[in-house]
Amino acid sequence: MKLSRRDVLKGGVLAGAGALLGSEGNRLMAAIQGSGPDGHDSYDLAQPENILYSQCLQCNTQCTVKAKIQNGLLVKIDGNPYSPMNLQPQLSYDLSPQAVAKVDGHLCPKGQAGVQSIYDPYRIRMVLKRNGPRGSRQWKAIPFEQAIQEITEGGQLFADIGETRHVPGFKEVFVLKDASLAKALGEDVSEVRAGTMTVEDFKSKHKDHLDVLIDPDHPDLGPKNNQFVFQGGRIGPDREVFAKRFTFNGIGSVNWYAHTTICEQAHHVAFLWATAQWAVKDGVGSWNKGTNHMKPDYTKSEFVIFWGTGYTEANFGPTPMGPQVSQAIVDGKLKVAVVDPRLSKTAAKGWWVPVAPGGDLALAFGMLNWIIENKRYDEAFLRNANKAAAKAGDEKTWSNACWLVNVETGKLIRAKELGVGNETQFVALVGGRPTAVDPEDEKKSVVGDLDVDTTLRGMKIKTGFRALRDSVFEHGMTHYVEKSGVDQATIESLAREFTAHGKKAAIDFYRGPIKLTYGYYAAQAIIALNLLIGNIDHVGGFAPGGGAWDSMGGKPGKPFDIGKMHPGALKPFGVKLTRESSGSYESSTIFKRDGYPAKRPWFPFTDDVYQEIIPAAHAGYPYPIKILWLHYGTPVLSSPAGHLQIKMLQDTERLPLFICTDIVLGETSMFADYVFPDIAYLERWGNPMGTSPVTLTKTTKIRQPVVTPIPEVVSVQGEDMPISMDAVMIAVAQKLKAPGYGKDGMGSGWDLKRPEQFYLKMVANVASGDKEGDAVKEASREDQDLFLRARRHLPRGVFEPAKWRAAVGGEWSKVVTVLNHGGRFEKADKAHDGAFLGHTWGKQMNLYVEPIGSARHSVTGKFLSGVPVFQELTSFDGKPVVFGSEYDLALFTYKDIFGGQSRTISNYAGQMALMPENFVYLNARDAKRMGLEDYDTVRLEAPGFNGTFNLASGETVTVQGKVKVIQGIRPGAVAVSWSFGHWAYGSKDMTINGQLVKGEPARSKGLVPNPAMAVDSYLKDVCLTDPIAGDSAFGGSRIKLVKVASGASDRESVHTGD
Amino acid sequence: MNRNAKILWAIWALLALLGGIGLIERLFLGHRLAAYTSYVPWGMWVAAYIFFIGLSAGAFLLSSLVYVFGVHKLERIAKLALFVAATTLVMSLLTIWFDLGHMERNYEVFTRPHFHSMMAWMVWLYSAYFALLLGELYYALRRDMKSLSAEAIREDDRKLKRLATIGIPLAIAFHGGVGALFGTVSARPFWNSPIYPIMFLVGALLSGGALMTFIVASFWPDKDEAWLDLLQFLGKIVLGFLLFDLLLEWAEFSIPLWYGVGPEASLVKYVLFGPFWYVYWVVHILLGVAVPIYLLAAKRDAKSINLASALVAVTFFAIRLNLVIPGLVTPELKGLENAYVDPIGNHLSYHYVPSFFEWQILMGVVALGIAIFYLGRRHLPLVPNSTSHEVSK
Amino acid sequence: MEQSLQPSAPDSRRAFIEKVSSAVFAGLALNGVKLGAEEKTNTMPASGLPPMPASPFQLSEHVDQDVLIRMQAELERTMKKPFKERRWGMVIDTRKCTGCSSCTVGCVMENKLPPGVVYRPVINEERGTYPDVARTFTPRPCMHCEDPGCTPVCPVEATYKRADGIVVIDYDVCIGCRYCLTACPYQARTFDFGEHWTDNAAKGADGALALTEARAYQNPPNFEYGKHWERSEGLIPGSPVGNARKCTFCTHRLDQGMLPMCVSTCVGRATFFGDLNDPKSLVSELAGQANAKVLKPEAGTQPQVFYLS
Ligand SMILES: Nc1nc2c(c(=O)[nH]1)N[C@H]1C(S)=C(S)[C@@H](COP(=O)(O)OP(=O)(O)OC[C@H]3O[C@@H](n4cnc5c(=O)[nH]c(N)nc54)[C@H](O)[C@@H]3O)O[C@H]1N2
Ligand SMILES: Nc1nc2c(c(=O)[nH]1)N[C@H]1C(S)=C(S)[C@@H](COP(=O)(O)OP(=O)(O)OC[C@H]3O[C@@H](n4cnc5c(=O)[nH]c(N)nc54)[C@H](O)[C@@H]3O)O[C@H]1N2
Ligand code: SF4
Ligand code: SF4
Ligand code: SF4
Ligand code: SF4
Ligand code: SF4
Ligand SMILES: [Mo]
Repeated sequence: MKLSRRDVLKGGVLAGAGALLGSEGNRLMAAIQGSGPDGHDSYDLAQPENILYSQCLQCNTQCTVKAKIQNGLLVKIDGNPYSPMNLQPQLSYDLSPQAVAKVDGHLCPKGQAGVQSIYDPYRIRMVLKRNGPRGSRQWKAIPFEQAIQEITEGGQLFADIGETRHVPGFKEVFVLKDASLAKALGEDVSEVRAGTMTVEDFKSKHKDHLDVLIDPDHPDLGPKNNQFVFQGGRIGPDREVFAKRFTFNGIGSVNWYAHTTICEQAHHVAFLWATAQWAVKDGVGSWNKGTNHMKPDYTKSEFVIFWGTGYTEANFGPTPMGPQVSQAIVDGKLKVAVVDPRLSKTAAKGWWVPVAPGGDLALAFGMLNWIIENKRYDEAFLRNANKAAAKAGDEKTWSNACWLVNVETGKLIRAKELGVGNETQFVALVGGRPTAVDPEDEKKSVVGDLDVDTTLRGMKIKTGFRALRDSVFEHGMTHYVEKSGVDQATIESLAREFTAHGKKAAIDFYRGPIKLTYGYYAAQAIIALNLLIGNIDHVGGFAPGGGAWDSMGGKPGKPFDIGKMHPGALKPFGVKLTRESSGSYESSTIFKRDGYPAKRPWFPFTDDVYQEIIPAAHAGYPYPIKILWLHYGTPVLSSPAGHLQIKMLQDTERLPLFICTDIVLGETSMFADYVFPDIAYLERWGNPMGTSPVTLTKTTKIRQPVVTPIPEVVSVQGEDMPISMDAVMIAVAQKLKAPGYGKDGMGSGWDLKRPEQFYLKMVANVASGDKEGDAVKEASREDQDLFLRARRHLPRGVFEPAKWRAAVGGEWSKVVTVLNHGGRFEKADKAHDGAFLGHTWGKQMNLYVEPIGSARHSVTGKFLSGVPVFQELTSFDGKPVVFGSEYDLALFTYKDIFGGQSRTISNYAGQMALMPENFVYLNARDAKRMGLEDYDTVRLEAPGFNGTFNLASGETVTVQGKVKVIQGIRPGAVAVSWSFGHWAYGSKDMTINGQLVKGEPARSKGLVPNPAMAVDSYLKDVCLTDPIAGDSAFGGSRIKLVKVASGASDRESVHTGD
Repeated sequence: MNRNAKILWAIWALLALLGGIGLIERLFLGHRLAAYTSYVPWGMWVAAYIFFIGLSAGAFLLSSLVYVFGVHKLERIAKLALFVAATTLVMSLLTIWFDLGHMERNYEVFTRPHFHSMMAWMVWLYSAYFALLLGELYYALRRDMKSLSAEAIREDDRKLKRLATIGIPLAIAFHGGVGALFGTVSARPFWNSPIYPIMFLVGALLSGGALMTFIVASFWPDKDEAWLDLLQFLGKIVLGFLLFDLLLEWAEFSIPLWYGVGPEASLVKYVLFGPFWYVYWVVHILLGVAVPIYLLAAKRDAKSINLASALVAVTFFAIRLNLVIPGLVTPELKGLENAYVDPIGNHLSYHYVPSFFEWQILMGVVALGIAIFYLGRRHLPLVPNSTSHEVSK
Repeated sequence: MEQSLQPSAPDSRRAFIEKVSSAVFAGLALNGVKLGAEEKTNTMPASGLPPMPASPFQLSEHVDQDVLIRMQAELERTMKKPFKERRWGMVIDTRKCTGCSSCTVGCVMENKLPPGVVYRPVINEERGTYPDVARTFTPRPCMHCEDPGCTPVCPVEATYKRADGIVVIDYDVCIGCRYCLTACPYQARTFDFGEHWTDNAAKGADGALALTEARAYQNPPNFEYGKHWERSEGLIPGSPVGNARKCTFCTHRLDQGMLPMCVSTCVGRATFFGDLNDPKSLVSELAGQANAKVLKPEAGTQPQVFYLS
C-alpha cells in the first residue's frame, strides 16, 4: 500500500498524541483519526468505541438502532443485533458489546436515511421569535433566557413590531398551585358531575377560591391552569412521561394531547374497549380499558389478512415484520390476503382484494354474514363466559359473547336484575337458565347459550353475539357486495379461507379500514372476526405481544417509583378542551346549559382528538385558552382539512400565545410566536418503551443521546443542556416554582434540574427487572470503560459521567448494561409456549362493548351501539355526507416505505432520491375516460375546496400533482401518498435577523391531499370525524381532478424506449 | 476593419469570453454544471470531439489525395488542409480532455496501456497522427519559409509522400476506430453496429471536405477562375460524399425500422420523432442535406457552394449528436429511470439537453480553433500568394 | 423476470461482427494481446486493511439464528482461505424482496455516496391489467460479471476483475472517461460529479440555523476498498470525485468479516452473499436451485449475482 502524505501526517499527529496521552490515548487518537496505529487505514464503523445503541424515530415503529460515529459525527445507522426487531432471532444479551460490534442488524430505508434527519441544514439552533405577523416567515433569534422570561412573565411581547396587546405568560395560567386545594376542588367537581353536589353548593363551599376557576358557574371546566394546552404531536411514547409530568402535575392542566386521532385512534379505541376488563373495587364495578393493539403471530400463522395495512410499507413496521413475513410466505407456510384499494407492495405478495375505499365495514359485514350463516365460528370458544370456562375449554381467553344485553338501554344485564347474583356480576343463559357470570372466576365455569333473543322480566334481551348477528343480518349480502365493491364469491372465499385454518389465522388491520366516521365500528367488526375464530393467544393466532419491562417503578422492589417522586404534584381536573375522556356530555354542566345538540361533540371514549384542539380553542368551546404549546406536530399539514386551521392560528385574540418546539420551521410552527429548537431523536432521551405486538418476546427499547446536539447548549439555572422540549419545561417550571422541579424535585436528594435525572431513573427501573432475580448483570469494568469511550464525542451538557451516575446512585452499573445494549430483550425462545404464545392476553375479550352501547351521541342524542352497526359516512348532526356527482373519484391516502410522515423530506438520499415527488395515482380506465396521461398535472378539487388555500403572507398553496396511470388501483379511486407537499420545512425563503435564508425548492415538490378532504357540515371548521373514537376521516372524500398542464415533455424524456 | 469584420471579431471575442468563463468553471467545479448524467454519460463534448476529429481526418485525407495520389487539382489546398487537420485535431483533443473526470491523469493511457480498450487505441493513434501531421506540415511548409534547394524540396516531397502514405491507414484506423469505439459497445444496441466504422469514414470525408470547401470558398486570396474551378470540384466531392452518407444512413435506419420493433427501432424513432425531432429533420435533413444538395447540384455558383459546404460542415455536428445521445437515452433495464434519482444535480436521468456550461466549453474550443486558424493563416504560408495578400490587408 | 428487463438483445451475429470489426480496427495482430486483467498486478491492494481480527465471538455457534449470522460465519470461514480461492457471489430472492430500497439507501449511507451515485437501485415494475396485476422488485447491484462488459473498455485498466471475483475500480487510476459506463449492460456504473446532498440548501454560517454544522457529516472519508477516501473538488479532484463508481461488494466490510451492507440491512432477508466456491455455502446452495436466473443472460457477461423467482 502506498503511503500518502495524509498518512504520514496522520502518523505524526498520532505519535504526538500518543506521547501525551499514553497508550490508551494513542488508541483513542487512532480511532478518532481513523487510522490504526499500525499505519493502516481503519474501518472505524466496526469498532465498538464508535458504536452506540438507541432508537429510531423516522417512523413510529421506533426500532432499536446501532448508531455509528466517525470523526465525532453520526455517519451510519444500522439495526441493533441484540434486538428482535433487527435480527431474528437476535443475539444473546449476554454477549458483550465489544463482541457483537461487527454484527449489524437490518433497518428500513427511512432508518438508514436518518442521518439526514439529524443533520438537516434547516435544523433550528436558537430560539426564534416572530418578527412580523404570524406566518410572515420573519424571525429573530433571541437568547434562551429571554425567551423563557417572556413566555413565563407575559407582557407586551410584540410591542417592537407594533403589536401592543398584552400577551399572557405561564404566570397567568399557573394560578392553582396548591396541591391540596386542587385535590379538594377536583373531588367536588366529581361530585357535581355525579349529580351529588349542586353548582351552588360547590360555589359556596369554595367561595374563596373561585378565582382559580375558568368559570365558577361551570366548575367542571376546571381551573385556569387548563388554559394552558400542550398539543403534543408525536410526543408519545418517547417523552410522554416527562411532558405529562409537566402539564398535568407541574402546571396542573388537563390539556395534554398526543396526535392519535389523525393517526389510527379508531383502531386503538376499538381494541381498548374490546379488551376492557371488568374491575370491581369496593363493591363497585367499572370497565378498565385494555390493550390497544394485537397482531397476528406471523411466524406460525397459515392465513393472514392484511386489511388496509401491510408488512412492507407502513404499519409496525417493515423492520420488525419484513424478515419473518417474507420467509413464511416464501416457505409456503403463510398465505396472505390484502384488502386494499391499491396494489400495495404487500398486496403484490399475496391475494389482492381491491375493496372500494371505505367499503371495509361492508366487507367485514359480508364476511361476518357468511361466517355466522354457515356457522364457521368457534362456538365453543364464544360460549366460554368466564375464566373458568376458558380454562376448562383449553383456552386462555374468554369473551362476553353470550352475556345478556338489555336491548333498550344497551346495558349488560347485571345478575341482580334477574335475581341470580349481585350488581357486579353479569348473566348468561345456561341451557335457558339465567346464570350469574363472574368474569374472573377461575372455579365456577359458565358456558352460556350463544344465540339468545328473548324477553325476561319485561326486558328485551339478547346475547352480545345475537346483537352482532342481528346487526349483520339487518342488510343482506347484496347490500354488502354493493357497498364494499367486492363480489360475493370473493367475500365468501375470503371468509371461507379465514375460517379454514382453525386458530392459525388472523386479521391484521390498521389505518386503511378505519379512517372514516364509522371507523370505530369497522375496527370493532374486524376484531369481531378474529374473535369469532377464537384465535387470541394461540400459536399462529392473534397476539398481544411480548410486553415490556416496567419503567415507572410502581411495582414493589423497584428502585424508583417515578409517579410518586413528585412532591407537591398537582392533580389536574376539569373538562378537556376537546371534551375527550371527560365523562359524558350529559353529566356536564354544559349539557344543563345547552342540552342536545352539543355545540361541539363530546368524546367520552377516546383520547387525543388532535384535529379538534385548535378549532375548539378558536371556538372558545367549552372555554377559551391562553397558551398553546405545539410540540412535534404539524396539524395544519397532517390533518384532513388542516389548512382551515391557518386562519385560526393567526387570530391573536383567541390564541394569545402560541409557542412551538420543533426541529425545523414546519408548516404549523411557522405560525408560532416563539419556536424553540428541539433535540432530535438521536440527540435526546426517551422514556423506555415496549414495542408493537409484532414482537412476541418481552422488549424494552431505550432512546439515549448518541449524537452531539444541533441546538445551542444553554445554561438553565446553572445547568448546561441543549435547548429542547425538556429544557423549556425544566426552565419554565423552575421559573414558576412549579412542583417537582429543581433541587429535590423528585424527592429529597433527587434533583430534577437535568433531563437525564428523570430518564435514567426509568432505565434503572428496567435494569432492575420486574421480579426478584430479574435484574440485568452489572456492567464489567471493561464494559464501563467502553461506555465512556463510546461517548467521548458527546459535549458537556449532554454527557457528564458523574451527573449521570448521580442520577441513579447505586443502580449505575446495571444502567450501563442496559444502555450498552440499547434496551432489554428477552430470549427469542420465549415467543411460544406449546400451543400458546409465550406472552398471552389471558383475559376477557368483549364482543359487546357496554360503555359505548349504553351511551349517546352528544350531538344527535341517539344511542350508540355496543356491537358494530353498518353505517355510511355521516357528519356530526347525523346527516349522511353527500357529494355532487362531478366529484366522482374516491380519494384515499397511504404511506410509502421511505416516507416518515411529514418529516423525511430532508432525507435527500432516502425519500428525495427514491421519489422526488409523489403522484396522483389513477387506474388506466379512469385516466382514459378523463383523457389524462402520465405526468399530466392535475388539481384536486372537492366540494367547498377549489384546489387552493392561502397562507398568511398572501401566498397560496395549490393542491396539485402529477398523474401516474397504473393498473394496480381500483377504478374510481385516486391514491395520493403522504410525506410530500411542503410549504415550509426548509422549502421556502425566510428572513432571520433581517437576513434572507433561501429555501430549497425540491422540498416543496409533490402534494399533500389533506386539504381536499371533506369538512364536517355541522362544525364546518374541522374534518369529518368518528364520534366514538374521535378519529379523523382520511377516507370517504370524493374529489374531482382538474387538468392543469400536460405532461408530454416529461413523458418523452423518460419513456423514450417504448 | 470593415463592419462585417468588426461583427465577426465581436462574435469571436464573445465566444472567447464565454469559453474562458466556462474553462474556469470547469477547472473549479469539475463536471457539476454539465448536464450529461451517469445514464447518458457522454454528451455534447463527446459529440463535438468526434465531430472535430472527423473534420480533421477528412481534411487530412483530402491533403493525402495530393501527397499520395497526386491529385493535382487539389494541390493548392493541400497545405491548408493539413493545417486545418491539425487545428481541428487540437480542438478535438481539447474537448475530450475537458470531458475527463481526471484531466491530470491523461498520461496514464501511456503508462498503463490497456491493449483491449478501443479508447486506449484511439489515444495512441491520435498521438501518432498528431506527430505525423506536425511532420507533414513541417515538410510541406518549410520550403515556403526558407529557401531550399530543389533537391531538398524533392527530398521533402518524398518524405511527405511517405508520411502521408502512413497517414492514410492511420487516419482510416483512428477514425474508423472512433466508429468502432461506439460500435463495439455491445451493451448499446443503437451503436452496436458493424456499419459504424464505414459510416465514420464517409462522415469524416464529408464533413472534412465540406469544411475545406467552405474555407477555400471564404478565405482564398485570389478568387479567380482557377479558384472557382477548384471550388466546383470540391463541391462535387462534397455532393458525392453527401449522397453516399445519406445512403449509409438510410441503410442504418431503414433496417431496424422495417418491422419497427426492437430497441434499435425505438431509438431510430426517438431520433426521427422524439423530443429532438427537429435536430434530425430541420438541422440535419433540411439544412444539412436538402438545402446543400440543391445548392451543390442545381446552383453550383461560388456563393452557393460556400453556403452549402458551410451548412454541411456545421450541421454535421447534429449527426454526431444524434449518434452519441440516442445511444444512451434508453434505460438498459426498464424502470431504472425511476428507481433512484439525483435530486441535487439531476445526474441520474435519461434526459439530456446540453447545459449552457457545456456550450461555453464548446464556444471556447471553437474560439481557440478560429484563433489558431487565423494565426496560421496569417503567419504561415498556407495558401499560394498569401504574402501579397497579407500585405494588402 | 429477465424478459422484462431486456430492452436490448444484440443477436449473436451482431456480437460476432462486432468482435471482428473491433479486431480490424484495433489491429488484428493485437487480438492475442488481451492481457488478463486478473493476472496483472495492480496498485490496488486486495485489502488495504489490517488483517481480519480473530472472531469476536464464535459466530459459528449461532448459525441456527438469523440467516445473517449463518452467512457471516460462512464469510469468516471464506476469509481464511487464500484470496484466489474465494469467489464471491450474491443471490437475490425476488419473491422475498419487498421493494423497500433499504439496500439502496443503506449502501448509499455506508459508502457515503453523493447524489447521482448509486450502486444498488431497486427497480419497481407493474405488469398486467386490473384486477390481475403483478408488481415485481428487482434490486440491481453490480453483477460482478465473469466476463464483464466494463473492464475491457477501460483505457487505463483502472477497472478489473480481482481474483476473488470482485470487479473493482482503482480510484487512484481512473481518468473518468466514462467509457465503462456506456459498456455495462446493467448500467451498474455511475459517475461521481462531485456533488453533495446539501448543495441546494441555504448556505451561510451557523446562527439560528445549522447551515454549516449540519453539512459536516458528508466530510469524513469513506472506506471503500479498505482505504480512506476524502472527496474533494477542484482542479485536481480528490477521488472518487471524477471517477466511475459502482458496487464494490463492500470489500471493506468483507475484510472485517462483515457482510455487505445491502445484505445485512435487507428487510426481506432477500439478499444472500457468500463464496460460490464453497459448495456448503448458502449462496452456492441457492444459486444452484432451478429457479436461479441471471439478468440479461444474452449479454453474455455471466453475472455472479443470481435471482430467484
Ligand atoms: N413507511 C412508514 N411507515 C410507518 C409510518 C410512516 O410514516 N411511514 N408511520 C407509522 C404510523 S404513525 C402509523 S399510524 C402506521 C400506519 O400504518 P398503516 O395503517 O399500515 O399505513 P397507511 O399507509 O396509513 O394505510 C395503510 C393502507 O391502507 C390503504 N387504504 C387506504 N384507504 C383504504 C380503505 O378505504 N380501505 C382499505 N382496506 N385500505 C385502505 C392504503 O392504500 C394503505 O396501503 O405506520 C407506521 N409506520
Ligand atoms: N395524507 C395523509 N396524511 C396523514 C397520514 C397519511 O397516511 N396520509 N398519516 C397520518 C398519521 S398516521 C400520522 S401519525 C400523522 C403524523 O403526522 P405529523 O404530525 O406530520 O408527524 P411527524 O412527521 O412525526 O411530525 C410533525 C412535525 O414535527 C416536527 N418534528 C420532527 N422531529 C421532531 C423532534 O424531534 N422534535 C420536535 N419537537 N419536533 C419534531 C417536524 O416539523 C414535523 O414536520 O400524519 C397523518 N397524516
Ligand atoms: S420501521 Fe424504519 S423508520 Fe420506522 S422506526 Fe423502524 S427503522 Fe425507523
Ligand atoms: S454489471 Fe456492469 S459494471 Fe458490473 S461487472 Fe458486469 S459489466 Fe461490469
Ligand atoms: S471511467 Fe475510469 S474505470 Fe471507467 S473506463 Fe474510464 S478510466 Fe476506466
Ligand atoms: S455489496 Fe456493498 S457496495 Fe454493493 S450494493 Fe451492496 S452495499 Fe452497495
Ligand atoms: S432491502 Fe431487501 S427487501 Fe428491501 S428492496 Fe432491498 S433486496 Fe428488496
Ligand atoms: Mo400514525
